[in-house]
Amino acid sequence: MLNLKRTICFTLLLLFATIVGKAQQRKFNAAYTFLQQGNLDSAKVNIDAVVLHPETAGDGKSWYVRGFIYKSIYNKSEKGNKQSTSRIVALKSFKKSIELDTAQENVQENVKNIKYLCTTLYNDAGASLDSIDYKIAIANFDIFKEYYLLVDPTPANIQQKDIDFTLAIASLYTKVFESDRKGKIEFLKLAKDAYNKILAIDPNNIAANYNMGILYYNQAVNLINQSDYDLDIVALNDIQDNSINLFKESLPFMEKAYELDPKRRETLLGLSGIYFSLNEFDKSNMYKQKLEEIEKQK
Amino acid sequence: MKKLLFILVLPILLLTQSAAIRMDQSEEAGARIKAIYIYNFTKYIEWPDNYKSGNFVIGVYGTNIPLFNELSKMAASKTVGAQKLEIKSIGNPAEAAQCHIIYILTNSSDELPEVIKKVTGKSTLIVTDKAGLTKLGSGINFSIVENKQKIELNKANIEKYKLKVATTLVDMSVQVK
Repeated sequence: MLNLKRTICFTLLLLFATIVGKAQQRKFNAAYTFLQQGNLDSAKVNIDAVVLHPETAGDGKSWYVRGFIYKSIYNKSEKGNKQSTSRIVALKSFKKSIELDTAQENVQENVKNIKYLCTTLYNDAGASLDSIDYKIAIANFDIFKEYYLLVDPTPANIQQKDIDFTLAIASLYTKVFESDRKGKIEFLKLAKDAYNKILAIDPNNIAANYNMGILYYNQAVNLINQSDYDLDIVALNDIQDNSINLFKESLPFMEKAYELDPKRRETLLGLSGIYFSLNEFDKSNMYKQKLEEIEKQK
Repeated sequence: MKKLLFILVLPILLLTQSAAIRMDQSEEAGARIKAIYIYNFTKYIEWPDNYKSGNFVIGVYGTNIPLFNELSKMAASKTVGAQKLEIKSIGNPAEAAQCHIIYILTNSSDELPEVIKKVTGKSTLIVTDKAGLTKLGSGINFSIVENKQKIELNKANIEKYKLKVATTLVDMSVQVK
């Protein structure tokens, strides 16, 4: 009697699973058909139902199709939107598909699509590098980094892109700060933090060393040039102390840039300028002469 | 796809180079410090009454374009009491006698004895820019101490021209006798 009850229960469960499974299969097929017809809204509704259902949530192929549908939505109607949500859903879906695709049936297709979407993210990050949209640029670049590792897992490659992007964002922070030194003072720290981040990864990065040197140098020069003629001598001494400290902060970065490329014109000018400001005229002239010799050779 | 990736790298790299240092920025900053000092001299030194009308003339003897420009900028926005500031480029020692302050630049330091001759009996503050000149007749000399622009002051050399120097300025200087 007990065995019979168990058999009936098992049969009912199997029947239910088959019905559910068939329902999900129908939705999957419908999503695929809607995709082919270009009816992306309906395709989206059906494929979302498939991947959300416990019965089919672990199917890599469904996630791949979902990624494709969302990628198509992005291409069709969100391409101008740098904060496209469909692009993110597509990336997440392709990534999930790779994780579930133990037989590796769709790996190449998934990677190819991730690479394409990463490219659009990187492009949008580059295009958003301005004082208004820079936060969008950073967000897009962070997403790019996360997914680009699936395309190219070589750490050095993504690291180089990270350095390039951080250099660009540091340069942007500097420009914003320079546009309004009092009102946008927080951008000075952001710029220094960005250059420090690069130098922590690559201490021999010539651009980061040089730009950091310039940042401190300009800060020192501005401190002096913004001083009023009415300043008393005690206050002037304080300004001088602060500016000398900044010139001295600038020096090791510029010297490192010089060590990395002793014939670079900008660096020689930089060292000459810093030593001049430190009232070390012999050293300033030495770098000036080196620059003149190099320019004669050209 | 590769083409797209290549295109996207360029705009980012183009944004990474800061502008080069301009030497005149360093020179301007150095000139600004000296201009502030000189303006302080006009506050801490008192000229006789017969020097308190007309323009307050600062003569610059020698060539230093950033410094001359900086002093001219200062003159455009500041006064000495009711007197308008005038910055004058001096071509020979005789012209120094018409100045309240004569600033002899390093490249004209050799002219100090001649300038002293011409300002004898006048009320002109002699400012120089070369070590040792306060012992040779200059009232105030710019000097560098631990990377910093400082001043050496010889009180007797100032007072011999009927100028009164405030204790505050003396205390803030390296005193030379």
